[in-house]
Amino acid sequence: MVNHLFAAFIFFLQESGNESSTGAFGAMKEGVRHPDLSKFLVIGALLFIIGVAGVLTRRNIIVIFMSIELILNAANLNFIAMSRYLQQTGSANAIAGQIFAVFVIVVAAAEAAIGLGIVIALYRNKETIWVDEIDLLKW
Amino acid sequence: MYKYIWLVPLLPLIGAAINGLLGRKLRFSEQLIGGIAIGSVALSFLISLAAVYSYGFGGHSNWPKPYVTSQDGFSFDWIPGGAVSINQGAEPRIQVELQRQAEEKLAAMTPEERSQRHPVLMGTVVGPRYALLNIEWSYQLDQLSSVFMLVITGVGLCIFVFATGYMHGEAGFYRFFAYLGLFLFAMLVLVMGSNFLMMFVGWEGVGLCSYLLIGYYFDRQEAANASRKAFITNRVGDFGFALAIFGIIATFGSAQYTEVFEQAKSYPMELIGHWGILSWIALGLFIGACGKSAQLPLHVWLPDAMAGPTPVSALIHAATMVTAGLYMVTRTNVIFSHSQTMLLVVALIGAATAIFAATIGITQNDIKKVLAYSTVSQLGFMFMACGVGAFVIGIFHVMTHAFFKALMFLGAGSVIHGMHHEQDMRRMGGLRKYMPYTYWTFMAGWLAICGIPPFSGFWSKDEILWRAASTTSIPYGWLIWLVGTLAATCTAFYMTRLMALTFWGKERFLGKPAGGEADEAHASAFDKGLSQHDATTGSAGDRPHHQPDEHVGPAVQHDAHGHGSHVHIPHESPRSMWVPLAVLAVLAVIGGFVGVGPAFRFITGTEHPGGNLNIVRWLDPIIWNPATHEFGTEAGEQTTPTANHGEALAAHGVAEGNHEASAYGDVGFNLAHSIEKSVGELGTEWLFIVISILVAGIGMALGWYFYLKDPSLPDIWAARLRPLYNASYNKYWVDEFYGLAVTRRTMDAARAVFIFDSKVVDGIVNGLAALSRLFSRIVGGIDKYFVDGLVNTIAAFIARLMSPLLRAAQTGFTQNYALVMVLGLMVGVIAFWGADIASAAAETASAIRHLFGFLV
Repeated sequence: MVNHLFAAFIFFLQESGNESSTGAFGAMKEGVRHPDLSKFLVIGALLFIIGVAGVLTRRNIIVIFMSIELILNAANLNFIAMSRYLQQTGSANAIAGQIFAVFVIVVAAAEAAIGLGIVIALYRNKETIWVDEIDLLKW
Repeated sequence: MYKYIWLVPLLPLIGAAINGLLGRKLRFSEQLIGGIAIGSVALSFLISLAAVYSYGFGGHSNWPKPYVTSQDGFSFDWIPGGAVSINQGAEPRIQVELQRQAEEKLAAMTPEERSQRHPVLMGTVVGPRYALLNIEWSYQLDQLSSVFMLVITGVGLCIFVFATGYMHGEAGFYRFFAYLGLFLFAMLVLVMGSNFLMMFVGWEGVGLCSYLLIGYYFDRQEAANASRKAFITNRVGDFGFALAIFGIIATFGSAQYTEVFEQAKSYPMELIGHWGILSWIALGLFIGACGKSAQLPLHVWLPDAMAGPTPVSALIHAATMVTAGLYMVTRTNVIFSHSQTMLLVVALIGAATAIFAATIGITQNDIKKVLAYSTVSQLGFMFMACGVGAFVIGIFHVMTHAFFKALMFLGAGSVIHGMHHEQDMRRMGGLRKYMPYTYWTFMAGWLAICGIPPFSGFWSKDEILWRAASTTSIPYGWLIWLVGTLAATCTAFYMTRLMALTFWGKERFLGKPAGGEADEAHASAFDKGLSQHDATTGSAGDRPHHQPDEHVGPAVQHDAHGHGSHVHIPHESPRSMWVPLAVLAVLAVIGGFVGVGPAFRFITGTEHPGGNLNIVRWLDPIIWNPATHEFGTEAGEQTTPTANHGEALAAHGVAEGNHEASAYGDVGFNLAHSIEKSVGELGTEWLFIVISILVAGIGMALGWYFYLKDPSLPDIWAARLRPLYNASYNKYWVDEFYGLAVTRRTMDAARAVFIFDSKVVDGIVNGLAALSRLFSRIVGGIDKYFVDGLVNTIAAFIARLMSPLLRAAQTGFTQNYALVMVLGLMVGVIAFWGADIASAAAETASAIRHLFGFLV
């Protein structure tokens, strides 16, 4: 287990290319200062997985909502990273990813408003916000 | 002019087409319609006259052979039939061929050889033959068709003129003249055609026109029935005629007269009891003639045909169409003369018809019915003449009969017209005063039909009776003569009765409450003692003035309807009606002089005076001579040296008897020849003439005595001879018998067939339908209970089995669904990018191992 975590840490600090020749540490510093795309994607994926795990495992609706926010923000991170990456490669329409991220934030806000409203309504009816006590979808 | 005879039938057709197709649409006036009709007929009469003159008297190159228009190209291939095998009459043909070969060989021999050899030499057997059968449409002008052309167009012209007066004011004026023109066309095709098929076309055409014209007042049930009766009865005859034509084509391989007769003339004779091919053909032809000419078994339609307008009765049912049978028999005289059996049949049927119809004519009260039965009787006389071998005299009687019977029919039409459509003679009488022209012309017809010299009927009828008595063609000539003489007596009697009831005696139309346009309906009501109001059905009248529900009251009530004067005073007919009567009367008086008989040779100096104008001489070239097997007497004279005795130029006189006797064998007792032995030839002829005039006188005297001298006598004698009177009055119940034996049985058969159809045929169809319904019900049951049951059972089983499992998946917890979604997402990711992920993981692992290999 320790081996695996260490390996992951090293993975974050690995060289991005062959042009750096300032030694292992220098490369590590350079990698932290100018992380390449894959690192953002990995972080995004981790965020997504954490979100999904939260949605699937937590019983409190509020926490589930928070997990959903995590999932959305994982997507946002991907958008921003891609946008940044495309700006570096000189693509013409690189701004679209940022705009999409703004859209997602708006949607998340709306979703949070409606979802919390639903939660309040639910609580008034069922007097619980524990999802394992709510099986109305069954019938 | 003879080249244009194809115009003769065409002109009436054109006239009929104009009148019939345009007359109604363009609202032709009566003058225009009459003008077109009369003009076309007059023109074709003139053409016929000119053609006959140029043929017979203008030194025509064909004389005496027939002239056929195809000689000049006025013809076309009507039925290009192609090759036919001649499969009938092989035996007589072989005989003829052998005879011909023997004669050829004999002719080639020297006299010495001839005396040594037997004349009958063996020849080769004649095999089946083939012929090219092409029926052409061409007209034939010869002696026989000349007579008929002139009679048809001439008498037809008179009747057309009469009809314009008689049919005046009729709604269907155009239709009437269209039909009449069409009839003339068909009749002219019949007599002018050059082959049997054209004759058949004309034959059917006149039958059709007869049907149309009898049913001219088709809104009357009785006229419609009569027209159908005529048509159906004629079908029976036409069937025989058609069979005979088939026989002719199968035997001779051609339908052209000239070719058929050229072959037929040398066929062997068929004496009594020998039914050879020619006898069968002649039988078929005679059945056709019986139908068309109203001979005994098939006569029933002609009296009923009087439901047509009177000019139609005169033209079709007296003068022309009904003589088509005579035309046909005379045209095919070579075939009939070959068959002694058929000659006897023709003579017997003719004699039986003559006496049969004459006896019926005595008791009829409808003036047209009397004339109709008179016509049937006279047609019987004509067939009698043909049967005893005197075809020419038959045609002679056709001609004179056409004159005097057309005259009398038109006279009757004039009377009916003058009497306001009264046809019952019992309500006439004394018309002499009111209708002088009609009376005097009718008188000529009366004297002619009674057989008073020198009126035309005398010459022909007397000659027929003389030929019957002296015939050597058939046995029982004396019987034919006896029956014919009796019929002639009856004829004189009923014709005198007709004259007496119509023109002489008391004026009975004043007293009887006959109603205005009285007809047979009144008469039958009067007979049955019913009131006039009951007389609403079954009218035999000429015009449909009474509807079935119409009030038919006495004359006084008719005044209220504004129907003429209070009693119907007869009036003379207009000029358009009596002028044709006068023309026909002249013909009826002098028409017989074309056939002055051999008995007057001490006055005229020759047996057949008048040269070609004499009908016996004129028709001679078309008559087959059984003695010489050639046509005409001239040919016969060349080959028989014994025929040159004195003025006996014709083969048909008694002088030729020896040859005819040899041709037909011994025919037994011969009345004339037996008398000849004691009083000589001329004396015998005069004896028969005297007898003929005597019986005519007796008949007329009886008629005068019964109906003028003592008018109560008829009723007394009718009561005394009640069964005979009833038989005659009811026409010997022939109609009833036919109704019972034929019509009812046909209906029964139709009913039986209908039952068969409705029960068996429909039963089969319905049964099949029921069967398939039953089958479908069974299949439906199987489908419903078995197949569906199986499906339902399996489905239920599966559902029952699977539903707990599937139901278990539906927990209702949101997170379960989300988990499934995530799992699905993972499955999808692995499915699509599994390989990439695996390789990336492997790469990463190797990189780690590379970096940190020293740690492990």
